Amino acid sequence: MSNESNFASENSDAKFFHRKDLYLALVLVAFGAFVYYEAGKFPPAPLVLGDTINADVFPKILVVILLFLTAIIPFEFKLTPQKVAKIDKERDQKTLPITWITIFLLLTIVFLTDFLGAVLTMFVTCLMLPLVWGEKNYVAVAIYALLFPGFVWFLFNQLLGLYFAPGILEVFLK
Amino acid sequence: MEDVIKGFSLILEFKNILLIFGGVLIGVLVGALPGLSSPMAIALLMPFTISLDPVASISMMAALYCAGTFGGSITAILINAPGAPPAVATALDGYQMAKNGEPGRALGLAAISSVIGGIIAIFIFLAATPILAEIALKFGPVEYFGLTLFALSMLAAMSGKSSIRNLIAGVMGVLVSTIGVHLATGVERFDFGVDELTEGIKFVPVLIGLFAMSELLNQSRTLNAAVERMNARALRLPTIAELKALKGTILRSSGLGTFIGILPAEGSTVAAMMGYNEAKRWSKTPEKFGTGHAEGIVGPEAANNAAAGGAMVPTLALGIPGSGTTALILAALVMHGFRPGPYLITETPHLVHAIFGAMLFANIGFLGIGLVGARFFSYVTFVPKRFLWPSVFVFSLIGSYAYSSAFFDVWVMLISGIIGYFALRNGFSPAPFVMGLILGKMVEETFTQSMVIYENNFMNFFDSGVFIFFFILTFVSLSTPFWGQIRNKFSSVKS
Repeated sequence: MSNESNFASENSDAKFFHRKDLYLALVLVAFGAFVYYEAGKFPPAPLVLGDTINADVFPKILVVILLFLTAIIPFEFKLTPQKVAKIDKERDQKTLPITWITIFLLLTIVFLTDFLGAVLTMFVTCLMLPLVWGEKNYVAVAIYALLFPGFVWFLFNQLLGLYFAPGILEVFLK
Repeated sequence: MEDVIKGFSLILEFKNILLIFGGVLIGVLVGALPGLSSPMAIALLMPFTISLDPVASISMMAALYCAGTFGGSITAILINAPGAPPAVATALDGYQMAKNGEPGRALGLAAISSVIGGIIAIFIFLAATPILAEIALKFGPVEYFGLTLFALSMLAAMSGKSSIRNLIAGVMGVLVSTIGVHLATGVERFDFGVDELTEGIKFVPVLIGLFAMSELLNQSRTLNAAVERMNARALRLPTIAELKALKGTILRSSGLGTFIGILPAEGSTVAAMMGYNEAKRWSKTPEKFGTGHAEGIVGPEAANNAAAGGAMVPTLALGIPGSGTTALILAALVMHGFRPGPYLITETPHLVHAIFGAMLFANIGFLGIGLVGARFFSYVTFVPKRFLWPSVFVFSLIGSYAYSSAFFDVWVMLISGIIGYFALRNGFSPAPFVMGLILGKMVEETFTQSMVIYENNFMNFFDSGVFIFFFILTFVSLSTPFWGQIRNKFSSVKS
């Protein structure tokens, strides 16, 4: 079973830690270590400020608490088996290619936002996302890609006065 | 009394009534649409309210919060897909009643119990907020530090999959709040040379990313999911005799919901589940639960709406969010220049009363909307995901950009969303993170001040009786989720 495979061993008596949670804990420990290291580089408070605690104290305390809580994570399945089983059920489903494609598409859109400007970005989003997600009604997509950004532009730019960066459209507007 | 009149007169302006009504409409709509939620709607709405009158904006959000809690029950009843987590318990009997051929009655019971629960909680909110604020005014930094510690410890019991993960998310939120200039020393922390980070991470893009973007990615996994839905022609209100039979359940759940709402970090979801369990425990016919029983609908519905009102008490009186959604309202208060906490009621009492009025209006409003628009709201579930979620992305883009006209915020929004999506898959909920992020500054500020007052010795904090009280509460709330497990282990070993 997929749930079992997350544990250190298939033998139920020998289960000591939860494999996926161990990896998760290692990521959190690495993050904590990085934050602690970075906090160590903060300069001390000037003497003129007297007893004020240094800028690194609070983040370091948080890292210690974080590491303490993280240490429990690989063994959490022993404390709350049902809850961890529920989490396993979800994460055992692989991230689908469509989700990765969506992430890539969104990153590309945001990357191009400065160049495209607000209106074209909205148009590209409304055109591309439904198509990538498998919408076959192309007429509906075209209507949606034209009308929805138009509605948003009218509502926020024309009625509410929100600034929409023109981007590449600036060339045509001139 | 003068403040009450002033607060009410503010929301009675035509423009403000429209905004509040808009909040109710959006609330019911996002509540009804599975995947969309009131925290998400508030996060998306927040940047657009900057130019609006602050009192009207906050009132609109409060109205949206109330209506969103009810809206979730529409899809819970009609398609067995709770639009929002607090409606999960409603689906247990609501959907069964709809399947039994009474969807209108199920919606009517949900609406009327929500209204009663909501109104009871609002009056308790109005009475309790000034009292709590007055007590809090006597607090010094160390007492406030104890209180914020207690609020953060309550994340352990917050609805979510795991107490430990909730706490980790909360600590992460506090950690993120330390980015930027340290106010006490002027040291720039964790900005890595990025100018935009010296002021710290802004709430709004992070909130939009965590609530809207992570859900968008989540929805990309279920694009072809088919739902079985019931067609409700209209909402049918219960008869007087029916209400009389249910009054005990409604009143009990309303009281319970308000109390749970007042507890920091405990929200409507916990209240609804407890409302359902208590309704079953007190019922003369517990065997009927799960088969479309009226008590199984009014119990959770009265409780979850009452919790929405209750959650406003610590949010406004102490500056400690009572739930994930009120954490967003707290962020909105800060964004509009208010000082959440005891000073809010002394400095701007009209705001508290305007919120009270808006919530009252929302409770009556969603009943009206439910009466005339139940059929329409059952149709909104037909909006294809392939068009709905690109629209959410567009609003997220515009919202995160509009906040400070910076593309950097758009990146923060998207990256928060991607991280939030993978965190969610590993059992970390966004709400505890947001609570940590919002409370972070207060925790550090009160901790730093207390350390200065108590000569850098943490043990001296225990000179304060109030701190000891909150410290004990913190210990109890941190250990509570594990007591049940330990007890179960013991009993299984014994047997």
